[in-house]
Amino acid sequence: MMIPGLLLALELSGENDEALARRLQCREPQAMADLYDRFGRLVYSVVLSIVREPAVAEDLVQETFLRVWNRVHGFDAARGALGPWILAIARNRAIDHIRSVGSRMDRNSFEFDAREHPSLFVDMEREVFNTDHARIIRAALAKLSANQQKVIELAYYEGLSQTEIAERMDQPLGTVKTWVRAALKHLRDELGQEAVA
Amino acid sequence: MTCLELQQDYGAYSLGVADNPERTEIDEHLARGCPNCVPGVRNARTTVAVLATAVKIAEPPARLRRRVIAMVTPQEEERRFTMLPWAVAGLLAVALIAVAISVRRPAAPDTARLDQALSVLNDPAAKDVSFGDPAARGRVFVSPGQGIVLIAAHLPKLDANRTFELWVIPTKGNPIPAGTFRSGADATALYVRPGPVENAAAVAVTVEPEGGSPQPTTAPFIVTKL
Repeated sequence: MMIPGLLLALELSGENDEALARRLQCREPQAMADLYDRFGRLVYSVVLSIVREPAVAEDLVQETFLRVWNRVHGFDAARGALGPWILAIARNRAIDHIRSVGSRMDRNSFEFDAREHPSLFVDMEREVFNTDHARIIRAALAKLSANQQKVIELAYYEGLSQTEIAERMDQPLGTVKTWVRAALKHLRDELGQEAVA
Repeated sequence: MTCLELQQDYGAYSLGVADNPERTEIDEHLARGCPNCVPGVRNARTTVAVLATAVKIAEPPARLRRRVIAMVTPQEEERRFTMLPWAVAGLLAVALIAVAISVRRPAAPDTARLDQALSVLNDPAAKDVSFGDPAARGRVFVSPGQGIVLIAAHLPKLDANRTFELWVIPTKGNPIPAGTFRSGADATALYVRPGPVENAAAVAVTVEPEGGSPQPTTAPFIVTKL
């Protein structure tokens, strides 16, 4: 049986972003199928890890792909990175959901819209989702201090602001900011220049 | 704030957790194409993107792929219904769908769509609301667990680069896009949007640019309160 990581890598190594984005822009339903085959498992996994309810995750994944379909005309096929874009949309949808369920609506959907605008994903590295990066990021996360791991978890999976994290952890805001900065710097350094150039 | 002051918050910003004033300041720097902040945030965004690969990989159900693809499958041929007296629609919806779906397409997609429509109509929890605006009239069935079936006639004529878009109006928050469709030559449409529908207070239809819009850009010409 193929291990999930290898299976994922095979899925993600398919058609290049530009060709797939152009087919999406030409409204080819098969392009949507190919997009799902390439990113669906990762998108579902990220969303499920945030909302923790399979039925809700399915709805949000569907919404994510529909949002890509509806907005792909604004995507720069020649220079845009499809994977990071669709994952940003997925994570935003999931966090928007848990914030609405938890009545934490201080950051509304319009703000999320701004943070997933396709123009923000131009000139990013495209092939960021690969087994090397997965291995490096997992090892790097494991090396973080307990507090650094906690702030990354609260930020990534719960979408808490640094102020909210400080309240949750009963720590000064300045301390939390220091942990977040140090954690992300460590992750960036571990990924190396080629990952962030 | 200066770029130097902001650069240590690129990561928190990209993670979506930066607080003000840093968040607003970075927004402003990006909006004016700041030569320092634009690449800096892009690099930080890459790091955040890679975090996705650290999640535990879960297997999505097979039906999810079908749902995603069904959203963008062309509707105008398969879902339009012709030659049926409109009054029948409200009386026997199941029969309507069975008869109305075009037989010109291969059997499998129509069967799948019919199954989707029937699953909505068979749901005891489905709400069934008629609408009768002079511009369009019809009926909508909304099943919280199964999806939406919209049957409409007298739809307005669309320009070539426009489409109808269905919206779910939640009890709270912005309209949620629920797919696009076009009418047949006889100005009718039967549109099926499979999948759960949560907290729907109403459904609406607008005219949008081809491909649809993330939020309505025109006033809805159909609004059915559930």
